[in-house]
Amino acid sequence: MSLFLQLFVNGLIGGAHYALLAVGFGLIFATTRIVHFAYGPIYTIAAYVAWVTAGPLHWPLPLAMLAAAMVAALLGVFSYQFLYRPIEERQGSTLVVLIASLGLFIVLENLTGIVFGTGGQTVAGFEGGIHFIGPVFFTTVNVWQIVSVLILVPVLAVFLRRARPGKAILAMTDNAEMARIVGIDTVKVSMLVFALGSAISAVPATLILLRDGANPSMGFLAVFIAFVAVVVGGIGSLRGAVAGGFALGMIESLGLWQIPTEWQNSISFVVLFLVVLLRPQGLFGAARR
Amino acid sequence: MSAPLLEVRNLSAAHGKKPCLHGIDLSLMPGELLLVLGHNGAGKTTLMRTIFGLHRPSAGQILYQGRDIVGRRPAENVAAGIAYVPQGHGVFRSLSVRDNLLLGAFVVTDRARLAPRLDVVFGLFPVLKERERQIGGTLSGGQQQMLAIGMALMHEPAAIILDEPSLGLAPNLVERVMETVVGIKTAFSTSIIMVEQNVRLSLPVADRVAVIKTGRKIYDGDPGPLGDKVELMKLF
Repeated sequence: MSLFLQLFVNGLIGGAHYALLAVGFGLIFATTRIVHFAYGPIYTIAAYVAWVTAGPLHWPLPLAMLAAAMVAALLGVFSYQFLYRPIEERQGSTLVVLIASLGLFIVLENLTGIVFGTGGQTVAGFEGGIHFIGPVFFTTVNVWQIVSVLILVPVLAVFLRRARPGKAILAMTDNAEMARIVGIDTVKVSMLVFALGSAISAVPATLILLRDGANPSMGFLAVFIAFVAVVVGGIGSLRGAVAGGFALGMIESLGLWQIPTEWQNSISFVVLFLVVLLRPQGLFGAARR
Repeated sequence: MSAPLLEVRNLSAAHGKKPCLHGIDLSLMPGELLLVLGHNGAGKTTLMRTIFGLHRPSAGQILYQGRDIVGRRPAENVAAGIAYVPQGHGVFRSLSVRDNLLLGAFVVTDRARLAPRLDVVFGLFPVLKERERQIGGTLSGGQQQMLAIGMALMHEPAAIILDEPSLGLAPNLVERVMETVVGIKTAFSTSIIMVEQNVRLSLPVADRVAVIKTGRKIYDGDPGPLGDKVELMKLF
């Protein structure tokens, strides 16, 4: 029983991490319909920016996270402005966008390796506390991982429902052509979601840096999980992205109860296949025409 | 003789490398309902999308209030007072009727103007008021068309481009839509370009008619003769 409780808590923690990754990726994907694979390496770079600022430069953690978010937002906007937008304006197909995205993924990942070295990095001197509730243990960073979801997701939800740019994002997510017709500048909205989505990824990036450290290839699994969580939860739904993230985290963790560790990553694949087969619109997605 | 509100001069456009509009001239006078007729694939929708800025022309001029608007983005045209109601229920299917209407007024930055505009649209389409909280995609086809027209009215446009408002509607609903269009024209002195394929029901409400065939204008003038001239009807 205590093993189950521990795995359940681990699932929540992992799920919180996945949920934030999915929210950032899903925001970009749902609004622009661009499968932004380079989201992965941008998340990696955010982790390294946090490492440089919090580690060698000894900045306070919130400031390091902010710096990471700003660099990530900038890289997101650049990806759109200098890669995806020119393709869109030449009416390139989704396949061209996809390949360009993969190319950017490889370039950024290799650049990270060249700049920061291919070995991992951790923030020297960072000590997170360990807490026990009964037989279940977790760390201070784990608490922050959960809290960050509890803060960011409601703030984003209110922004989308209430703020003028948020409404423009929802409109473009629903129907980009109609958004243009009512006078929404979809280029600006695209830049905004690339900035926002990438900035959001800096939060899980910083927290995972504190928990596990950073390495140049960490972005692959991140964007992969984010993609699966968004499809599982339902494209275009914030609730869906969060639910998808938590579902994946929970299934991965609880799966360990019965399934050997080396199969952990395959579990997300199985979940993806099941959802695509049984409920293609995702848990919270509306069926699309 | 007043100047046209909207004027198209020698406009050509293409889909990729395939030309589909060849030197079209068209003018819309203030307060006029111009009917644009033509077969499927004649280029009517491309013409409207090009005027509105969703499609780039390969040659020619588009003048709105005397100024060339070629190359302007739709957002600028909306702000300048042009509204476009696309073919096939142009609504946000996942958002409520109210949110749809408010998005129709996206370019209106003065929030005090929104409530009176909502009242105008609800006055015109009481059913939208009843279904204010309903999700756009769950409305019937006719209601979605009303919502689409209501959205266009939200920013008080000087000109409305209506692309086949009768598409997919039952005949009695088509008549209602035509009445509504005339009602909008008279009540707000809005200039309207309406693209249609339903000749029988749209001809009686038109002030002037242009007929497009394979990307060229083959008739422009009084709707009267078209009702009789069987030969001309055969043309398109």
